[in-house]
Parts: sequence; structure tokens; C-alpha cells
Amino acid sequence: MVDWPDGNLDAAVRFDEDPYDVIIVGAGVVGCALAYKLSQYRLRVLLLDKNYDVGEATSKGNSAIVHTGFDAAPGTLESQLVTQASRQWPELAEKLKIPFEKCGAMVLAITDEQNKQLDTIHAKAVSNGVDDVRLLSAAQTRELEPSVPQDVLGGLLIPRESIADPFTTSIAYAEVALANGIDILFGAEIVEIEDADKTIKKLVTARNDRIATRIIVNVAGLGSRRLADLYGGDEFDINPRRGQFLIFDKYSRSAIKRILLPIPTAQTKGVLVIPTIFGNLIAGPTAEDFSLDDEEVTDTTLEMLQSLLSGASRLFPGLVDQPVIGTFSGVRCNCSQGSYWIRSNDGHQGIVTVTGIRSTGFTSSPTLAEYLIKELHEKCGLNLEKNPNAVDSRPESNWPGWWQRPFANGELVKQNPDLGKIICYCENISRGEIIQHLDSPLKPRTLDAIKRRTRAQMGRCQGFDCQIKVAEIISEHCGIPLSKITKRGPESEIVPAPTAAGNEGKG
Amino acid sequence: MNSTKHFSVVIIGAGPAGIGAAIALYKRGVKSVALVERSDKIGGIPSLYKKKKGGVRTFIRWSRGGIPFFGEDYAHWLGEQLSKTDVQLWLQSQVIEIEAKENRITLVNPDEGRVSLTAAAIIMACGSREETASERGWLTGARPMRVFFTKQLLQLIDGNGLLPMRNPVIIGSDLIAYAAAAKLKVAGAADAIIVDNRRRPKCSYFERLYFRRWSQPNFRGVAAKSVEVVGSKTASGIRLSREDELIPCDGIVLCGELIPNSELALQGNLKVELPSRKPVVGRDSQLSEPGWFAAGNILGGFHGAEWCYFNGRRVARAVINHLSQSS
Ligand SMILES: Cc1cc2nc3c(=O)[nH]c(=O)nc-3n(C[C@H](O)[C@H](O)[C@H](O)COP(=O)(O)OP(=O)(O)OC[C@H]3O[C@@H](n4cnc5c(N)ncnc54)[C@H](O)[C@@H]3O)c2cc1C
Ligand SMILES: Cc1cc2nc3c(=O)[nH]c(=O)nc-3n(C[C@H](O)[C@H](O)[C@H](O)COP(=O)(O)OP(=O)(O)OC[C@H]3O[C@@H](n4cnc5c(N)ncnc54)[C@H](O)[C@@H]3O)c2cc1C
Repeated sequence: MVDWPDGNLDAAVRFDEDPYDVIIVGAGVVGCALAYKLSQYRLRVLLLDKNYDVGEATSKGNSAIVHTGFDAAPGTLESQLVTQASRQWPELAEKLKIPFEKCGAMVLAITDEQNKQLDTIHAKAVSNGVDDVRLLSAAQTRELEPSVPQDVLGGLLIPRESIADPFTTSIAYAEVALANGIDILFGAEIVEIEDADKTIKKLVTARNDRIATRIIVNVAGLGSRRLADLYGGDEFDINPRRGQFLIFDKYSRSAIKRILLPIPTAQTKGVLVIPTIFGNLIAGPTAEDFSLDDEEVTDTTLEMLQSLLSGASRLFPGLVDQPVIGTFSGVRCNCSQGSYWIRSNDGHQGIVTVTGIRSTGFTSSPTLAEYLIKELHEKCGLNLEKNPNAVDSRPESNWPGWWQRPFANGELVKQNPDLGKIICYCENISRGEIIQHLDSPLKPRTLDAIKRRTRAQMGRCQGFDCQIKVAEIISEHCGIPLSKITKRGPESEIVPAPTAAGNEGKG
Repeated sequence: MNSTKHFSVVIIGAGPAGIGAAIALYKRGVKSVALVERSDKIGGIPSLYKKKKGGVRTFIRWSRGGIPFFGEDYAHWLGEQLSKTDVQLWLQSQVIEIEAKENRITLVNPDEGRVSLTAAAIIMACGSREETASERGWLTGARPMRVFFTKQLLQLIDGNGLLPMRNPVIIGSDLIAYAAAAKLKVAGAADAIIVDNRRRPKCSYFERLYFRRWSQPNFRGVAAKSVEVVGSKTASGIRLSREDELIPCDGIVLCGELIPNSELALQGNLKVELPSRKPVVGRDSQLSEPGWFAAGNILGGFHGAEWCYFNGRRVARAVINHLSQSS
């Protein structure tokens, strides 16, 4: 079941009955992947999040690259999980119906100094097991990517570096987990933990629900420190690191085929130019450090956006003339004690802390989830018995997918006229598709949840034409008054609540 | 696979410009004209401004001695004129693709699925939209709920009877901005604070004087390099970075600064100026490929509805010229 605080279910009564085997706190891509993998076993699992959809935090604001791990620090857990995951992704994407494209990447050297470094990067890639990389001459580089600067000195080709749909990934994991009987609870911020030292622990939500469980997995990303304080977990510090991006209109997409990367410096990996699976280009990210109190700082700033443009145009000079249609930012969960900081039985038996999943968690989610299950089994005594009825893929019929929009198929439209009623003009998204998603397993109800699923409001006009129409469709189809439709859950309503005086909207 | 239908002229967009062109073509005896509109009604932007007692009239008809009209009334008048013609109207039909060399457009609609139309001449009268925050370039910060465009205000206030905010901040200072301030005030909000990165409002003195009847917005010209939206869940203010001043509000409207809806032209490789998105037009509003024309606000800049209507009629004459030369 999926539950919302405003649903009919009396969570408190229900949750007191029977403890869960595992509660996953945090429905980012890592939590969702874990739920997906755990749903293959006979276990009672609850995936919960304070937000009202999966993947609403760091997992929605990233570069969406499925890394090969060519530039990871060799020998680390991160390198191991990323390189493994990279090889699993094509099959995973197929099973879960995640838009995925092996577009390849290219590191560009502009100065002599940089050209010398290409060899080092090449060697590092090979030692990470990414042995299909190839050094390129200046001429080869320009031939493969004609839009790069004319004075490029050389490049490194990474053929398997890929891009995928970050939004659908969390959703797909969670949908399959749900189909296999895992529970999902939204709007549940964990503010207290009772009986952390006992076999059966209780998680207390901000709404004062108590939910019992044997094992707690803390995959709360930027919230992991605060959560660990509730059970007295080990020392670690989170230093949030913001990354801003520019989004370019689709007409620029055809100018480059691959992800373009600069040579990293000691300070930063630099600004990338990245094709998106939706057919745009993005430039980013920045790397700006914040303190944990600022953890919600996902603002964009003018100076940084301008610096992104100048950085990106060093890889693709033509970008300066391309229209920017939007900006966004994401915040990396940067842990001072190291990336992939994982502690089993942290503070108490049966509590697992997973943090510092900084810049590769989208890629590594499938292998990290498997690694965590092994930890749960070996260190926390979780009994693993395969569920013979579990499925591991999303049904074909769920939706046609971005690669095959309904408007491309006149016959499909004739069968369901709603598929011919275009609501989002920039991306040609129909009323029919919005309704299909409203009826999908996680019951998305917010404007942002529909945006991430359909792309309505994500095009060049940024909702000018469709936002209110999307809200009207949610309202009408789900029986929620229009004034109660939200962007991302309570307190983000489309209009303020009426006052007692109440002569509203008469003009 | 699509079925293809042939016309002598196809017009994309049934706003004032497209309807103006359709009427002029009919009056000059051009047969077989298709008018394609993605919305379920004709009239374009004016149709969103509903007629209300005590409401604000924002459309001026200079041809009628400068009388202010409700947009809805103007759209109604356009509809009446159109109904006297034999122009074939395609509603709920979104044009998704053009092939400039083949003089072909492809549309999607609920009844027929995908259909292609070809014509000896095609007029793009797709109108315009308002600049987004990133297009404005100086507006950054958070991305909460209640950062609207004027179009959304119209849909909420006039379309649904909801008050979108009580203490508005308006970004932009052209006629649309002052019209929005008046609209909000009449709907029950306080006088707006209008912020723009220029010294004086873009809206002319006389136009501002006209709107003073309904509201007295406070103009803040910020030469500030950047203005930031503040608010985690809903908009709660804007910060003027240079002054380091926070202007509290409970909603923000991005008004005016129109951007041409030229994406079809771009997609079809007709010449379009970037980043302004203005289609490149030659004599008689001809686009870069013969047989393709543009009319109304797709040309760029701000033009009132009646200007667009007459511009549509003028472009129709150029189209007739083209038809007579190519036949
Ligand atoms: C700028 C940038 C670029 C990136 N690029 C890439 C890339 O190209 N490829 C790649 O593989 N990775 C990339 N990453 C990294 C990737 O996005 C992250 O590693 C991944 O999203 C982390 O997922 P998560 O599930 O650990 O965290 P999150 O997505 O942050 O999930 C944590 C969840 O926990 C919830 N939560 C927190 N506290 C509580 C609480 N007390 N109670 C209930 N719920 C709580 C939050 O609401 C949130 O949903 C990038 C990251 C950034 C910021
Ligand atoms: C938000 C806003 C508020 C405004 N307020 C005022 C005001 O108060 N007073 C005033 O005088 N002027 C106002 N204007 C200016 C307004 O644009 C003109 O008054 C006039 O409506 C322009 O006429 P048009 O026919 O060029 O475009 P529009 O009226 O915009 O009509 C264009 C039509 O083309 C259709 N269309 C576009 N692309 C496609 C496609 N691909 N397929 C099918 N159909 C398509 C659209 O649905 C629309 O109906 C406003 C403009 C905007 C954007």
C-alpha cells in the first residue's frame, strides 16, 4: 500500500500491530533501490520519506550520468560499486523501463598541460577496469565532436559513459517494490526513535505515528546526520555541496553527441556539458559548500550561473548563443569522513547508517542496494528467503515511454482521444498521459510529481501554458479542490487558504 | 501513414492575428482556408480575460475611438466575424511539426489522431508567451509555488474564481504588468509592488494613469544586478541583492516581456534570431522559406490585440499576392 497522511488509513492503529522487518528511512534513489532489491525476499518492509513523492531531494537534482567509474579513486568501495553497476545498467533500464542511452563521453584537453594529463586519466580508467577508453588525437576529437573548440589538443573517449532518466529511476524501483508488497509512506518525517537499544524499535513521525521495526536503514541523505543523532550513531560530518545547472533548449542537443568533460583540477571536476535523455543539454555542476543548517539551499545564483556558461563554453563555444530554458540545483551529501560511509549496527544492533553517497549514487544504486542487503544479512541477522512470486520488472503496458510518445502514433490517439488532447505544448504531453500517471501505483498528486513523470511544465515555457491545466486535471480526476493542489505537498498549495472575510477572486 | 489534406492556405493559431488573416482571405475570395488552433476555443490571449462587472478592461480598440474592452468581448467579436466565413476551423489541434520545403504541417487532435495538411501558403500566427525567470536573466533564487505568469493569474482568477495571492510582487513593468496589478486588486489583493531592472516603468504614463482607477501599484526600479526569489514551499518575498533588502509577499507574478512562440519555425529550420526567438521576416512578413508567413505577436515585441488583428489582415494580402504569383 502507499499511504498519504490525508489518506483514509489510520496509520497509528495499523502500524502498532506488527513490527516491520526493515524500515528504510529516505526514499531517494538509494532507498528506492534498496526497497526494490529487498522486495525480492519474503520480508515486511516499509519505505518512508518526509516528502510526498520518491526522489524529491538530491536524487532529482543531478547530472543523470550513469558513470563507468573511469575517474573514481581505484580500490575504493565507491569505485567497485560504480564500475559493477555501470555494466548492469543496460539490463536494469530494460527491466524497469528507464529511458537510458549509451551516448559516451569525451574528456577534452585544450592546453599542453592538460594534454599531458590525459595519459594519467587513461591509466586511472584502466586500473578501474574501464579498459575500453581510448586516447584521441586533435583531429579525431574534432571529427567525433565537431562543436568542440578548434584549438583542442586531444581527448579521451569513454564509450560506455551513459545518460538516463533520474526521475523514472526512483519511481520504477518503488513501483516494483510496491507490486511485491512493500509498503510506502509519504509525509513521514522521522523526529524521534524509541527503544533504539531493543530488538523492536519504534520510529516516531512528526505526526506522532509510532512505527515498529527490527531493522532501521538510514539512507536519509542530507538528513542522515540528524537521524543518526536520534539513535546515537557514530561521528561523521555532512558538508552539503551545491551544484547548479543551466538547461538549454532542445535545438542545441544535436550539436554534440557525447558528454563533454574538462580535465579535472585539484580543486574541482569542472563544468560539464551533458546531453539529457529528454533531448536537452545541461551545463554544470558548480561545487559550493554550505553548512548543514543550510541543507535546503537549492537556490540558484546569478554569479554561479554566469560562471557555468563561461566554463561550459570552453568545451562547446557555440553554447553561448543557445537559449537557456531553465536552471536547477542539487545538493551533494558530502561526508568529511569519506564517501560511501556505511556503518552496520551503528550505535545499536539493527541500525545501519549509509551516508556520503555524494556524486555517484544514481549510478551505483543497484549494486549499493545489493551490498547493503549483504550487510543486513551478515551483520544484522536479516533472514533472506527468496519470494518466488516477486517480480523484478515493470509491466510493458505501464506507459509508452518518452521514446515513443503517444502523439507519434495516430492509431493510439484514436483509441484514446485523451492522448490527442495536448496539454503541455512544449513537450507535447497529452491529458491522457497525465491521467495515466495519476492512476499509476505511487498515486502522484502534486504538480512536481506529475512534472517529473510526464515532463509537463519542464519545457521552454516553464509552465506558462500548462501548469494550471495540469492542476485542473489533478483536481478533476482525483476529486481534490483546485485550491488544495500543491507543488510538493502540504504548505505548497497553489493559492493561499481563503480568509474569513472571503470575497476572493471576484475580479 | 498520416492522412494528408490539401488547402490553399493554412493558418496556425486562432488568436486575433490568425482570425484577422482568415477573415481577410475570405473577404478576398480565397477558398479552402484552414485555421488550426490548439486550444478548445478561438480568440487567443484575449479570450482569457473574462467580462466581469467592476472588472478591468485591458484591450483597447483604437479603430473604435480607443474604447477599452474586455478581452472576452473582443474574442466574441472575432468569433462572430469568423462565423460569417467558410474558413475550416480545426480546434484542439496542436501543430507538432512543420516541413518547410514541402509546405506541410502535422497536427495532433483527439478525433483524427495525426493529420498532415499541405497548402500553397502557411501563416504562422502562434502568438507569444511571457519570459521565464531564466530568460529574464536577473531573477534567480528559490523555485517555490506561487511564482506565476500573468496567463496563470487569468486562469486562476477569471477561470476558477480563486485569489492567487494577497500581497503581490510583480516582476516586469509593461502594460501587462499594470493590467495584472489592477486585476489582482479587484480580485481582493493589496496593491502590488512592481519590480523591474530599469529606472522607470516600461508602461507608458497614460496607460498607467488608466489603470490607477483600479490600483496604485508601487514601482521599484532596481538597477540591481540580481533579484532572488525567497520561499521554501511558497513564495514569501524577493531579495534585492544590491540593496540587500527583502520585500515580503505571498506570491510573485512574472509579467509581460513577450517571447515569440517561434518553436515550430525553429524546428522546421526557418530562420529565427536567437536568443530573442524572433523569426526573421522579409518583405510582407515572409519567412525564410517561400510560402511561409508570420503575423501578430509571433513577430516579437508587444502588440495589442487590435494591432495583431490588422496585421493578420495585412499579411493576408501578401499571401494573396504570393498565391497569384505562384499559380
Ligand atoms: C550536482 C550533483 C550532480 C550529481 N551527478 C550525478 C551523476 O551524474 N551520476 C550519479 O550517479 N550521481 C550523481 N550525483 C549523486 C546522486 O544524485 C546521489 O548520490 C543520490 O541521489 C543520492 O541518493 P540518496 O537516496 O542517498 O539521497 P536523497 O536523494 O537525498 O534521499 C534522501 C531522502 O531522505 C529523506 N529524509 C531525510 N531525512 C528524513 C527524515 N528525518 N525522515 C524521513 N525522510 C527523511 C529525504 O526527504 C530524501 O528524500 C549528483 C549529485 C549532485 C548533487
Ligand atoms: C499573458 C499575456 C497577457 C496579455 N495581456 C494583454 C492585454 O491585457 N491587453 C492587450 O492589448 N494585449 C495583451 N497581450 C498581448 C496579446 O498577445 C495580444 O493582445 C494578442 O492576443 C496577440 O494576438 P496573436 O494572435 O498574435 O496571438 P495570441 O492571442 O497569443 O494567439 C495565438 C494563438 O495561436 C495558437 N497556437 C500557437 N501555437 C500553436 C500550435 N503549434 N498549434 C496550434 N495552435 C497554436 C494559440 O493557442 C493561440 O490561440 C497579452 C499577452 C500575453 C502573453
